[in-house]
Amino acid sequence: MDDSKGGSSFAVHISPEQVQRFCEFLYRRTGMSFAESKRYFIDRRLEDRITATGSSSFQEYFSLLRTDADQEIEHLINSFTVNETYFYREEHQLRCMTTSLLDAIVRQKKLGATLRIWSIPCSTGEEPYSIALWLMENWPQVDSYNIEIVGSDIDTRALKAATEGIYGDRALMRLSRDIVGRYFGPVTGGNYQIDEGLRNSIEFTRANLIDTKDMTQYRDFDLIFCRNVLIYFDDASRRLAAENLYDCLRPGGYICLGHSESMSRISPLFRVSRFPDAIVYQRPEADHG
Amino acid sequence: MPLIRGKGGASGETSGSQQAALDSPDADNRWTAARALAGQADAVPALAVALAREPIPRVREAMMTALIRIGNAASIEVLLPYLRSQDAGVRAAAIEALQALPDAIAPFMTPLLNDGDSDVRLLATELARNMGGSEATRLLCELIDHEHHPNVCAAAIDVLTEVGTPDALPTLERCAVRFAATPFLPFAVAVAMSRISGEES
Repeated sequence: MDDSKGGSSFAVHISPEQVQRFCEFLYRRTGMSFAESKRYFIDRRLEDRITATGSSSFQEYFSLLRTDADQEIEHLINSFTVNETYFYREEHQLRCMTTSLLDAIVRQKKLGATLRIWSIPCSTGEEPYSIALWLMENWPQVDSYNIEIVGSDIDTRALKAATEGIYGDRALMRLSRDIVGRYFGPVTGGNYQIDEGLRNSIEFTRANLIDTKDMTQYRDFDLIFCRNVLIYFDDASRRLAAENLYDCLRPGGYICLGHSESMSRISPLFRVSRFPDAIVYQRPEADHG
Repeated sequence: MPLIRGKGGASGETSGSQQAALDSPDADNRWTAARALAGQADAVPALAVALAREPIPRVREAMMTALIRIGNAASIEVLLPYLRSQDAGVRAAAIEALQALPDAIAPFMTPLLNDGDSDVRLLATELARNMGGSEATRLLCELIDHEHHPNVCAAAIDVLTEVGTPDALPTLERCAVRFAATPFLPFAVAVAMSRISGEES
């Protein structure tokens, strides 16, 4: 990724009409929506991207963006989103898991049955470990089922870091001192390593969401967390990813997407399920329609 | 904890046997076959036949995705007739599928935008949304300059509002004059012109 094409900084005038045009495109393409009160935030990031791409005007940049030249959509999304991942991110979905989703899922299962949860992409492991911690802290039935948590990512370096489970203060900022004390141990450099039992209880694997053959190894999940990745895909890849995820879920299983993502905008395969803490998507139970 | 390997695994089945499975009475088998045929150009004729008689929306979706993954002129030709479907859901699915193929659809755009059916012309404007700005502008301006149906013009203007280049401005001005008696069109034109030029209307 070369972000330095522009080199020098210069003032780019962006009119309200151009911002409006940009926002409509951004919403249609990614689902990200910004209120008028965020105008300064939008302007700053747009100016940064115009400069970084060496574009001489909004018009030139917008043409480049629409054709996704040099993967500009990915760069743009990165500039508009929080790229760092941390424990208990989008906590409302974790709460939804233990207050609504798992109860619905285990209604169909016998005590002691296997319950499979998948975090894809799992990046450096914060999400699958968060799922494990949250379950242990918040789900009274956690010991009544055989819970399998799989974390997958396309990036093998991220997976190596996930397996090591070493994190700095920023990644742990949402965890209470008590939880850090009970599940993490200090290591060098002021970092913390998640305890060995948890590290060994999560299977980390490499997976590519849009590789159908690759995805055939992943089946029978009850719950999938697939957050903030579909926004990066084009229409064709999103459809394919949705079909792959459908096959990876058990009938009746749920999928949680990122807050700006909507499966309804991607594929009709899933049903929208509204719970008090989150909106998630469900693979229909008996699906012949 | 062990990762449960799926019962599917890597398929050793040939394209021919997957094509035959498109005829299966079991919807899950047809779904699996369609998914396996994604990207296999020799499967277009079989997918075309299967799509025409497929009653299950989920399986139709997978067949359309398979055609998108193939993405050649033959797969476009399979999808195009569904723009004329009486079923709004099928038309919408066809539009979404064709929109995912902005390069492959380009050679088909001029005939579509000159189709005798105004509903087809209207839907076709949406196919320009994912095309490059210059090409989309050229196609939509050619349409607007000779289009008599206000709803088709409105649809084209809506797409131009997002993707149009300044080359569209003269056509838009003419359109506003031609449809001065249809108030929503001059209003839509004014919005499009301000977005394209970046100036307040």
